[in-house]
Amino acid sequence: MTVVATGVGRAFGGVQALRDASFAARPGEIHALAGENGAGKSTLIKVLCGAIRADTGTVTVEGRIATAFQELSLLPDLTVAENLLLAAPPRGRLGLVRRGRLADEAALVLSRYGATGVDPRSPARDLAVSQKQVVELVRVLAMEPDVVFLDEPTAALAEREVDWLAGHMRRLRDAGACVIFTSHRWREIERLADRVTVFRNGTDVATRERLTEEEAITLMTGRTLGATYPDISGIVPGENALTVSGLTSGRLREVSFELRRGEILGVGGLAGQGQRDLFLTLFGAGKPTAGGLSAGGSRARAVRQPRDAIRAGIAYVPEDRKAEGLLLHLSIRDNVALATLARRSRAGFIRQRAEKAAVSGIAAKLDIGAGRSTAQAAGTLSGGNQQKAVMARWLLTDADVFLLYDVTRGVDAATKHDIYHLIADLARDGKAILFYSSETEEIAGLCHRVLVLREGRIVSELRGPVGDAETIVAASIREPADA
Amino acid sequence: MNRRVAYAVAVAAVVLILGAVLSPGFASWPGLRAVLIVASFTGFVAAGQMLVVLVGGIDLSIPWVLNAAAIVLTTTGLGLADRLPLALALAVGAGLLAGLVNGLGVAWLGVPAVVMTLGMNGVLQGLTLGVSQGLTCGDCGHYAPQPLRDLFAGTVPAALLVWLGAALFVTVLLTLTTFGRRVYATGANPRAAYLSGVGVKGVTVALYTLSGGFAALAGIMLVGYGGQASLGLGDPYLFESIAAVVVGGVSILGGRGDYLGVVAGSLTLVAVTTVLRAQQVPEYGRLMIYGLVILAILFAYGRERAHD
Repeated sequence: MTVVATGVGRAFGGVQALRDASFAARPGEIHALAGENGAGKSTLIKVLCGAIRADTGTVTVEGRIATAFQELSLLPDLTVAENLLLAAPPRGRLGLVRRGRLADEAALVLSRYGATGVDPRSPARDLAVSQKQVVELVRVLAMEPDVVFLDEPTAALAEREVDWLAGHMRRLRDAGACVIFTSHRWREIERLADRVTVFRNGTDVATRERLTEEEAITLMTGRTLGATYPDISGIVPGENALTVSGLTSGRLREVSFELRRGEILGVGGLAGQGQRDLFLTLFGAGKPTAGGLSAGGSRARAVRQPRDAIRAGIAYVPEDRKAEGLLLHLSIRDNVALATLARRSRAGFIRQRAEKAAVSGIAAKLDIGAGRSTAQAAGTLSGGNQQKAVMARWLLTDADVFLLYDVTRGVDAATKHDIYHLIADLARDGKAILFYSSETEEIAGLCHRVLVLREGRIVSELRGPVGDAETIVAASIREPADA
Repeated sequence: MNRRVAYAVAVAAVVLILGAVLSPGFASWPGLRAVLIVASFTGFVAAGQMLVVLVGGIDLSIPWVLNAAAIVLTTTGLGLADRLPLALALAVGAGLLAGLVNGLGVAWLGVPAVVMTLGMNGVLQGLTLGVSQGLTCGDCGHYAPQPLRDLFAGTVPAALLVWLGAALFVTVLLTLTTFGRRVYATGANPRAAYLSGVGVKGVTVALYTLSGGFAALAGIMLVGYGGQASLGLGDPYLFESIAAVVVGGVSILGGRGDYLGVVAGSLTLVAVTTVLRAQQVPEYGRLMIYGLVILAILFAYGRERAHD
């Protein structure tokens, strides 16, 4: 056995993240850790790779270890090359770093691992989330480790990059390494893992070689879920809620479409084709260089900043809840109330009772933190509940248009299920929804209509529930950009 | 009340009790009254400093905003009671204006707060020295008007009520208003606040403006206390304001802290100085011990935070 943990316990503050957890993995296998957010997967990985100490239990790991953490660990102000070669930069005779060779060496490393399309000279902060993840993974792969820990390595990746990573994971396994990874996408676990260990509430509940999704979800949650995606066929889109014409901004090129009330409109395509620019610009957080939008049929007041967008009835739920959504050490109540403060105030003073009622109402409706007090810090919530808290903030705005940008990223199966149904309910209430997900399957399962973006343009529009991700992916790569 | 504030209050209590044990007379009302009055000056500047620190900023222009306001007060008030309202308005106005410029520079021009406010400090220093020709009291008409001096008379001086009023103002502003929520949101995560419709730039400008106003208020009160304005009056208050904020449990990274803690921080600083002075520790020893005490308190905070 290369990796063995026995009876491991670890608490953070008052929260017991791991309790009596045991785990074993051998050389030459890909071993998946499955479980909901807060089940203890990330904590176990941190304990196994030595990033944190266990309070109780023993841990043995043999061989060279490399870890890709869930929180991307690139230094934003350094270039890709500097990040990649941070530990072992090319040195000259006096031991000084040979800066001139950094980019070339990094390019060599990137191409050796088949990571094309990343410029070694660009600062890490300018990369798309998926590119950052690719660089992070190349950094790990380049160590040629005996034991690899990958915490949610695919959460930020598009289909094609997942295939790329899968190839490397198999190669490492075949070379005798022990590959341990976590994922919230069951298809990946099924495809890649030789064995799966399921975690629940900080402890391991089962280790199997074969496991169906239903069995896994039952093991992870202790309950069984209904059909994965809600049925939206009964929801008939109504009048226009948002008209976008000739919008050009960032990577976006002359994008035009209409979004109707009660409609869930998907935005597909490979990662980094302008989806993010589209969402941010519609919300007033990106500057359009041409074209514009009108909300509610009539020309809305110019949307120059998010505040204007909120007034025009537009809500934006971001992908990266830690960076763009939550105020982690402020209370759940502060977080949920933030976008609608003025509505519950008199002469600038917050009407405390109205606020408390509004927040606890929505928290109960979405089942945030299982009845936990809304005075607690948002950072104490699990990932899925944090995402629900961000959703709650925007539900309170009672917007007409919801821009949902990868809202299920890094969220556990049970919460995903809740969020799908929440989205369907919004559509049923006549809200217009623009939906992007890094999991194309979600777009296929949840949307009335799908716009496929490629190099900033809409290259294809797929009508009706698309059903399978393959159709969208095919549309993403089939047509030439200048067609 | 959060843990950091409770900690700040506890530290202040310990220092005050220690003072009472070490030096007789410290625990009497006249002794406490003196500590409170001196602490109020730190309390005013620290109120402004705290507001900008809450959004991850800093105000290094406090010393000369304070000093400029004091000079404006004495040179326009001319020691006459009937000119006092005008002089007060001009002094406060000068402070607010300096703060407004700071805020605009930081929020709209994107000048780093350290650079912007340090530059402002230098500009005001030059301006004050130039305009006053280095003389703060050309004739005796430039002394503080009587009503201002009266603030420090009596068993319970009105100056302490001014501090209480300022404390209530800041506390109510931060805890009960939408503006206060936006301040904490901006400090905790400016990007998320912006994407939730918070006018991050407007909030920042307002806070720097208020800081300028509080520095001016401290200058006015110091004029009343000392009877006149001198050049260099504000010099101790840069360090004092930052130390009071940090000892008061406000996170220097923004988003956390409140004024009760800063009041405790101000009291702690003044009590330490007073105790050392009563022990007749020579000046150089006082400075060293003062610095060490602050470091010790912050070290204890650091240990405590690690367990959060």
